[in-house]
Amino acid sequence: MITEAVSKYSYINKSIPRIDSNDKVRGTLQFLTDIKLENALYAYTFRSKVAHGKINGIYTEDAEKVNGVKAVLTYKDIPALNGYGAIVPEIPVLAYDKVRYYGEPLALVAAETQEAAIEALGRIKADITPLPVVHSIDEALEENAPKIHDKGNIARHTIVRKGDVEKARSSAYIVLERVYETPMQKHMFLEPEGGVAYIDEEGVLNVLAGGQTPYRDKIQISRVLGIPPEKIRVKNTPTGGAFGGKDDITVQIHLALLAYKTKRPVKLVWSREESGVAGFHRTGSKIKLRTSANKDGALLSNEAIIYLDSGAYQSFGPTILDVSIETINGPYRIPNYIIDANLVYTNNGIASAFRGFGAPESNFAIESMMNELADELKIDPIEIRLKNILKSGEIGPFNNEIRHSKGLEEALNRAKELFYRLDPSGPFQRTGVGIAVSVKGVGFGTLPEFPAAAIEIIPEGKVRIMFSNVDYGQGINTGNAQLVAEKLQVPLSQIEVLHSDTKFAPDTGGSSASRSTFNGGGALLLACDKALSELKTEAASFFMTKSDSLSYKDGHFYYKDKSVSIYEVAKRLRVRGKSTRFEATFEVPRYSEAVEGTLEVPHMVYMYGVIITKVEVDELLGKVKPREVDFIADIGNVINPAIAAGQIEGGIIQGLGYSLIEELNYDKDGRPLNINYTTYPVPIIADSPLINVEFIRSYEELGPFGAKGVGEVSIIPVGASVADAVADAIGKRNYKLPLLPWKIV
Amino acid sequence: MAYEKVEVYSPRSLAEALELLSQKRELIKPVAGGTDIMVMLKDGVLKEKELLNLSFIPELSYIKESENRVLIGAATKYREIRRSPLINAYSPILIEAIRQIGSPQIQNLGTIGGNLGTASPAGDSIPPLYILNSRVKLQKLGSSREVQIDKFFLGPRKTVRESDELITEISIEKMDPGSYYFFEKLGLRSANAISIVSAAAILSLENNTVKYLRLSLGAVAPTVIRAVEAEELAKDKELNEELIDRIAKLAAESTKPITDIRGTAEYRKKATYGIIYEALYKIMKGYGKKVEYGFENTS
Ligand SMILES: Cc1cc2nc3c(=O)[nH]c(=O)nc-3n(C[C@H](O)[C@H](O)[C@H](O)COP(=O)(O)OP(=O)(O)OC[C@H]3O[C@@H](n4cnc5c(N)ncnc54)[C@H](O)[C@@H]3O)c2cc1C
Repeated sequence: MITEAVSKYSYINKSIPRIDSNDKVRGTLQFLTDIKLENALYAYTFRSKVAHGKINGIYTEDAEKVNGVKAVLTYKDIPALNGYGAIVPEIPVLAYDKVRYYGEPLALVAAETQEAAIEALGRIKADITPLPVVHSIDEALEENAPKIHDKGNIARHTIVRKGDVEKARSSAYIVLERVYETPMQKHMFLEPEGGVAYIDEEGVLNVLAGGQTPYRDKIQISRVLGIPPEKIRVKNTPTGGAFGGKDDITVQIHLALLAYKTKRPVKLVWSREESGVAGFHRTGSKIKLRTSANKDGALLSNEAIIYLDSGAYQSFGPTILDVSIETINGPYRIPNYIIDANLVYTNNGIASAFRGFGAPESNFAIESMMNELADELKIDPIEIRLKNILKSGEIGPFNNEIRHSKGLEEALNRAKELFYRLDPSGPFQRTGVGIAVSVKGVGFGTLPEFPAAAIEIIPEGKVRIMFSNVDYGQGINTGNAQLVAEKLQVPLSQIEVLHSDTKFAPDTGGSSASRSTFNGGGALLLACDKALSELKTEAASFFMTKSDSLSYKDGHFYYKDKSVSIYEVAKRLRVRGKSTRFEATFEVPRYSEAVEGTLEVPHMVYMYGVIITKVEVDELLGKVKPREVDFIADIGNVINPAIAAGQIEGGIIQGLGYSLIEELNYDKDGRPLNINYTTYPVPIIADSPLINVEFIRSYEELGPFGAKGVGEVSIIPVGASVADAVADAIGKRNYKLPLLPWKIV
Repeated sequence: MAYEKVEVYSPRSLAEALELLSQKRELIKPVAGGTDIMVMLKDGVLKEKELLNLSFIPELSYIKESENRVLIGAATKYREIRRSPLINAYSPILIEAIRQIGSPQIQNLGTIGGNLGTASPAGDSIPPLYILNSRVKLQKLGSSREVQIDKFFLGPRKTVRESDELITEISIEKMDPGSYYFFEKLGLRSANAISIVSAAAILSLENNTVKYLRLSLGAVAPTVIRAVEAEELAKDKELNEELIDRIAKLAAESTKPITDIRGTAEYRKKATYGIIYEALYKIMKGYGKKVEYGFENTS
């Protein structure tokens, strides 16, 4: 159920169809991997078949001799820095001394034909001495574990604390200690990583590839090639799904390198299996949690040891670890805590951003803990949460003043009406109901962010809006168009979106951390302010009056009984040689300092949600069927209810996959076993339960027209709610996801 | 990775196809719907460089009646079988299984001959074929032979088919009117899921006493198997919870499952028990599906 509340707005709070839906539904939209450039070379990647080993040599001579081969590149061909990584540039563009995961790229081939390229691939030889493989967090931590990097197997370790946990625990009525584990999850976007690159007439290197953050891609490319960012253009749209898996570099640098070296257009698209082997995935986790409370359920202390499996390198690992730290205390009043957080290297591919970014991992632990505490104390699971949630104005565990948590309280109260078991559908079916709360910060916490965006008033009657956030299917281009339409009070049909292309759009940052509406929308509204103010001055001169005697409505300035449209004013500006493009930068509100031991904790603005999952478990087969899911969200003012509900539904289904069937596994040689849709099944629409999405009326003063964000909020609490529902059905708790049937019976 | 280049021959008659096959034998691979072959091509595991396309041979696509049997051309698409009034009326257990194969897209292309050719122990049309006492017709230039379904398979992906033979027909029994049946498949999701365990049964009851039970199991041994001990045990016994428990236990004991990413061997045994217990229990309680010989419900 989506209720389109009675709204005072004209263009927001409205379920306007996505502006790109027509082309997508008709199949006419050209994705970047669909592009065919004339004269383009076909590129392929030569990958390691050893998961951990010392490289003695990579031999390419035979490959270079193949007719039609234009380039065979190894680390020796990298002009500047052989490294990338969103936080620390430690991932080799092409491996040189060691390989650290199965499928790590060793060489690149570009040839006139696919056949020649494949022939060349087969002729490259790599001489690698295998080293013992580190398969898991536990193995990585063993005393004599093989060292994956010179510095050892801990990429980052930090301790964050407050109060006196020992004292609090010793006075507690109840102390529970549990170990929670979550799997590595694959993004499984429909469009695998890929794109094209070419050098244009002006000597600019164009890289058009699926991605999430074009300006950061550009900088990462520039560091590797040693050419200035101004000589590089990155375009990331349209991208066929990302979920975080395209936020760091995938093919961009390889494409750039090949186009730069060959001076020819190049196309590189990973096969599904390459995406499976070498694409990113979600960090696996193991979290030891000890939590204490009073008899009435009031939390006293929280002690966590968090281990996240970063795989062979750090991509977003350090900041993912931060989000897991921030999430482990939930939205709760916890006076005493100690969090010992560790990012661990293994030979399991590379973990990176994935919808929720460390939050689903910690949420599974703390929310499962809350449910078990409620059980043990015989308190209703909703009441125990109502008792512990932070209220607006309170100071949170990370010294942050809580804004607008009223939504969460309302959501929990509403949840009381939805929290019940269904009737079983058959004699072997047992039903259960589970609950969990979601909390996630919008954006990058205390890290400074200055998103810029622009609008251009085109005299012919269009408003062009420009931002670099990427629409990879989540609908940001529609949402941002609605914000601008609302602000300027012009019909949506007059808005033209140009986004995610460094050639046209200012640097708004990327699409990640549920930030695109808040940051991109925020910057666009400032650009609108600037436009309106300058146009007003011009309009005033047209009416020969002072600008404060004009009023503005529906795209027109009014003076007495006369009016002039923004387009006519723009025409006057153009005639006088003035620009009609207005750019503004939004300084994202944040706390100035991160809590000791963290990089970006805390956030200022949080999204909230409550999930209720109703399942049915077959008692003989152990199969869990999610039948109904309710999600009550506080995401601020809802710009487009249908798109927002779509995000929430999608997150729930992806979360159900994570909770029930998805799991990336590696064999004893460190080879991934689940690399395509056959070996890594994801839920399909027929698996979807009935989903009921409700929005709490909410308005975040800091956000554009009161909006917060929505992309990640729903996937986060699914695991804990499913595990809780299954426990309710079968009378036994599970602490490790996914809940495959053979773990139930 | 790019697809391997292959040469495709598309004969318009069976005679032409058999002629080609007799010349090329193991150098050419038959392809019907291609739903398995295309995957092999993509994975680069197809040895043959030539394909013998059976899609344009009308003689291989039919469904007809022959006394107490129904005959199905090997290249008949799942879609056609699902729609067939004959099979819906006389051998609906096959429909029940085919309904659960892949997805509509796969059923629009996939053929029953292809399922036999692939010879996966998890092939979903196969358990019903076992208990329909099916016969597989293999034809080569100048001669043909018929093989009982349980003699057709030698192991995973292995059959008695010679390289110059084509599967041309599958002949299935008409089920007895009034008999109960089920096909149950356990997968990790609702469609396009490979069976972890599957079971098919035909149960004939008279006054709640078992006249006969035929029970086959998929994905729990190198080939589909008949649970012979369980079938024998059931004969002439009253259908009650105790009997159901014993049948399911015996059936589970007869399996030789493996552990893979789709389930542990131990779980496959448990699930075999569970799937059979639940399905027979449903029949006992009067909710089972029954052969009616009616022609109105084609699905
Ligand atoms: C997404 C997806 C989902 C699937 N789901 C299921 C499922 O749920 N259950 C299931 O059982 N299978 C499933 N399959 C596998 C496949 O669809 C079936 O095995 C199908 O029956 C194969 O038929 P086909 O006509 O497409 O065979 P093809 O791919 O054309 O051929 C398969 C094999 O049979 C041989 N062959 C075909 N016809 C003949 C003939 N007349 N004589 C001799 N040899 C022949 C071929 O040489 C080849 O070895 C799925 C496949 C996909 C891609």
